[in-house]
Amino acid sequence: MTRTGTAPGSPAPAGARADRPAALPAGPRGGARFRHALHAEWIKVRTMRSTRYVVLGTLLLGTGLASLNGASSGDEYASLPPQDRSAFDPLALSLRGYILAQVTLALLGGLVVTAEYGSRTIIGTLSAIPHRRRVLAAKAVALTAIALPTGLATTLSGFAAGQAALKGAGAPHTALADEGAARAILGGALYLALAALLGLAVGTLIRSTTATVTTLFTALLIVPAFGPALPGRLADWTARYWPPSAGGQIVTGYRDPALLDPWPGFAVMAGCVTIVLAAAFLVFRRRDA
Amino acid sequence: MIEVRGLTKRYGEVLAVDELSFTVRAGEVTGFLGPNGAGKSTTMRMILGLDAPTSGTATVGGLPARAQPAPLRAVGALLDAGAVLPGRSAHHHLLALAAGNGIPRGRVAAVLEEVGLTRVARRAAGTYSLGMKQRLGIAAALLGDPPVLVLDEPLNGLDPEGIVWIRGLMRRMAAEGRAVMVSSHLMSEVELTVDHLVVIGRGRLIADTGMAEFVAAHSRREVAVRSPQAAGLGPLLTAAGARVRPSGADGLTVTGIGAAEIGAVAAANGVELHELTPRQTSLEEAFMELTQHSVEYAAERGETR
Repeated sequence: MTRTGTAPGSPAPAGARADRPAALPAGPRGGARFRHALHAEWIKVRTMRSTRYVVLGTLLLGTGLASLNGASSGDEYASLPPQDRSAFDPLALSLRGYILAQVTLALLGGLVVTAEYGSRTIIGTLSAIPHRRRVLAAKAVALTAIALPTGLATTLSGFAAGQAALKGAGAPHTALADEGAARAILGGALYLALAALLGLAVGTLIRSTTATVTTLFTALLIVPAFGPALPGRLADWTARYWPPSAGGQIVTGYRDPALLDPWPGFAVMAGCVTIVLAAAFLVFRRRDA
Repeated sequence: MIEVRGLTKRYGEVLAVDELSFTVRAGEVTGFLGPNGAGKSTTMRMILGLDAPTSGTATVGGLPARAQPAPLRAVGALLDAGAVLPGRSAHHHLLALAAGNGIPRGRVAAVLEEVGLTRVARRAAGTYSLGMKQRLGIAAALLGDPPVLVLDEPLNGLDPEGIVWIRGLMRRMAAEGRAVMVSSHLMSEVELTVDHLVVIGRGRLIADTGMAEFVAAHSRREVAVRSPQAAGLGPLLTAAGARVRPSGADGLTVTGIGAAEIGAVAAANGVELHELTPRQTSLEEAFMELTQHSVEYAAERGETR
């Protein structure tokens, strides 16, 4: 960079900037806006190493689990008693990979912000864009732009692999055009995007990567898994209303009357993520960097 | 230009920055000095809008940080050179910062060239040495070609070559008419580079003065004298107009008169001299004395509160 020198002690005259050879062109009119912040966050999420691993891992886990699930459950189908056969849910079997995919995508969401605190790049981020809500909103949009397509690819490939395995084992299976299949695949993808946003919100509130990982594991895996071990009413309530459990109904085909229907369950999860995200916006705006 | 007016930051019971007011002018390098924990970084963070002041204001070019239309074009900062994501390259690190302020991407290559990182720009920043990270931090500060630079301890941990480079850069930036604010806890790091000094201790302003005035006020000439008859020589020198402090068993520290006069007094009185050494007290000592008082004063004040 070259600048025409001015005498020390005198402020740079405004005109001197124009005749500098490599002068920086004037900025966007009205200053930097949300789209600039979004562009910045998009570059950052794309160039984070974890993003590649998470996207690949999510796809592999989702598809692999569907294939394994389909094959083993398909083999068992022949030996099931008739009352269990009526609850056999080929749709959910093929999409069960969401349970692990939600964790990897939530971790990505968490990392989008905790990696900034861990590496202290948050200082540069917020010096460049002091508008906290703009930064967090840009992070949310950039994250969704990764998580939603990844989620959709995961549910689609899971469905395809799972149904193929079930068909191969001679068990009931579903086609894309069958009732509920499109809802489960698209809704499952939306659910996975919500999980990523939950991770972002939790990471913003907690800041530490380790504590965020622990919290997300607890909320997404441990509580749903150990809910049935809780005392009676609490176990029923957890299975029905714990947001990730309720939201998971979006991928099911068989209706258990004790549980919420797919879209009401999804709404519980969406409401929960909205509340945690709103809290994250509030805290992020007020907190010193 | 940076204007700090009545700036105060309180963390619970602790007053980190206390009614601080000073100005960093264009075309000058202003040294922002104080012992560790004096509140230098907190002040800089408030100037950049990272921390919210409890009261008072800090503006750059008349605007607080959150009102800047494109902050990187108004003020470039190096607060923490280690602050890079290890897996991200210098190129992408800068590209993201530039994008957020609508700075064209060609500018990234220009600042990488300027700090000499072009060759390693695509490598993961985690593999950089501290000196290279420091250069990357400077590149980020220069991205918006800002009229104001804020550098927090930029010489920390640098090798001599890096130190010379940063000092030269600061002088050049000031010569181009920019306002440069550089913090340090060591006077010796900045005494050859800065035009103006702002010294703080315990969050309070201790001195706000030109470097030349500071040197004139605080550099003392003194003469170290050793003699087996030191006890007898002392009063003779005092009579000649000197101020004399004993130093060790046979030594004296003399101020007020020069080595030649001391030698003459000794010769006239037949006093044997073993040492006669003119010395200049360093600015570092003057600075430490200055901040030492503030620290003690602040500690006492804290106890009686």
